[in-house]
Amino acid sequence: MTGWRLELRAPLAARADLSGIVPARLAGLGPAEIGRLDVPLGTRRVALGELFSVRSIASPVIELTGDPRLDGVGAGLDEGTILVEGTVGAHAGSGMTGGRLAIAGDAGEGLARGMRAGRVTLSGDAGPRVGGALPGAKAGMRGGVVAIAGDAGPRAGERLRGGLILVGGAAGADAAAGMIAGTLAVRGGLAGEAGVGMRRGSLILAQEPRVLATGFGDTGEHDLIALLVLARRVPELTELFGGPLTGRARRHVGDRLVGGEGEILVLC
Amino acid sequence: MNLNGVEIRDSFAEAFPMAATRLVITADTPSWAETAARSMTGFATSVVGCGCEAAIERTIPGEETPDGRPGIAVLVFAMSLKALRKVVPARVGQCVLTAPSTACYSGLDGGPNVPIGKALRFFGDGHQIAKSLGGGRIWRIPVMDGEFVCDHAAGSIETAVGGGNFLILARSRTAALLAAEGAVAAMAGVANTILPFPGGVVRSGSKIGAKYPGLVASTNDAYCPTLRAHGRTALPPDAGSVLEIVIDGLSAADVAASMRVGIHAVCAIGEAGGILAVDAGNYGGRLGPFHFKLRELMA
Repeated sequence: MTGWRLELRAPLAARADLSGIVPARLAGLGPAEIGRLDVPLGTRRVALGELFSVRSIASPVIELTGDPRLDGVGAGLDEGTILVEGTVGAHAGSGMTGGRLAIAGDAGEGLARGMRAGRVTLSGDAGPRVGGALPGAKAGMRGGVVAIAGDAGPRAGERLRGGLILVGGAAGADAAAGMIAGTLAVRGGLAGEAGVGMRRGSLILAQEPRVLATGFGDTGEHDLIALLVLARRVPELTELFGGPLTGRARRHVGDRLVGGEGEILVLC
Repeated sequence: MNLNGVEIRDSFAEAFPMAATRLVITADTPSWAETAARSMTGFATSVVGCGCEAAIERTIPGEETPDGRPGIAVLVFAMSLKALRKVVPARVGQCVLTAPSTACYSGLDGGPNVPIGKALRFFGDGHQIAKSLGGGRIWRIPVMDGEFVCDHAAGSIETAVGGGNFLILARSRTAALLAAEGAVAAMAGVANTILPFPGGVVRSGSKIGAKYPGLVASTNDAYCPTLRAHGRTALPPDAGSVLEIVIDGLSAADVAASMRVGIHAVCAIGEAGGILAVDAGNYGGRLGPFHFKLRELMA
């Protein structure tokens, strides 16, 4: 299988959207055909080849050079791998149902929104609403793994329905707001309240939040077997927190003001 | 065929297909894991009267269990997948969920699902929590010592084999028991198998049917020393006691391996230890499709 390297010819003058430019779409096409695929650029549609030079590579992946105005990178990815050098714009990995998207840089708003399966890794910081909902959808990300080495913007894990989001740095305000299920793990601090309107799911923290949202109650410290299981089945969780989990954690439950049974686990 | 003075009779063990699963039970201490496992596999000697056959397969060190704590693997066999799906949640719910500090995981991948947490989660009365991470789904059910953690379901196979067996014909009860204990100890090391009867040994071998209507099994009179004069005896003149070892395994090869190890252990004691012959229980080929011919096994 042939891979492709798509290199930006120049910094983007307007927002472009690469949604649907995924390995399955490029399979069987030649460089000229790929160059003729049309993509939105600002208010018009242009040929992909106007924005990128296209050449084949031996590795069976798509390599891209990024741009802060390049939206929808890896959106709709269902199989295969997309490797990005540099920062990308909004909605990277949106609606993914499989495959791997690795971004060596930062990402804009809505990283992995509506994601169902697959894996996203980000070496830099993510914008607001990581793992949030697609427009019109009630629930956010439902499955897969998103690993962010840096910070996550506000409302990370908003209405999260499943899967795992790992944040190596800090998370912005209103993390896990309206979370329905799934797991958001943050190694760094939290800015502002978290878990407002949380129904279910787990927010796992390395340190006690400075301010707990109204609607959360402290149930004390516990030895949680479930954490031991997760540590073994999800090695990234152990790596995120820098060592084996003991299973001991302080458990806050909420948001009881909406009848929620979510939990904020602060590792001891 | 004769091994160390022990006659290997020209007979075969007749076994039948079963559905089976493996569960891994962990706890804070090996003792509590074993207590829960023994309770869960209690009253599970024969499908005829217990609905399933179950026993401890082996102990598992903490490094190999899903939560890093000491564990016990148990195998459960039933006559159908439907029956297995009924007995497993019932037994885990009564004997593992209730035991302090324990957790219960699937020990078998693939095959039709056998519910664990899928059925037991409702005990949480709405406070139960599901976690789907790392390719599996676990349930956390709040209980008075913390949380009972279990997998959503266990895998299973429908091609397991139940009813492998052999009979130890000895001069005395003491000799038969010593040989049976030696065989059980040796067979404990065979993976994917259990010996579901008490201590792995059966003294009440049975035949199909009885003089009483409705009784599906009754004493195997041909092997009862005190009935020798009744004319249907299968015993040599100097046999004073017979014990049986029954084996269930995840495959016919597993059962065969276990039988081979057990019979070798019995024959190692030999005629000098009061062992006269090794025989096997069968029903003329009418009961099950798996026939373990003793002389072929020991050739």
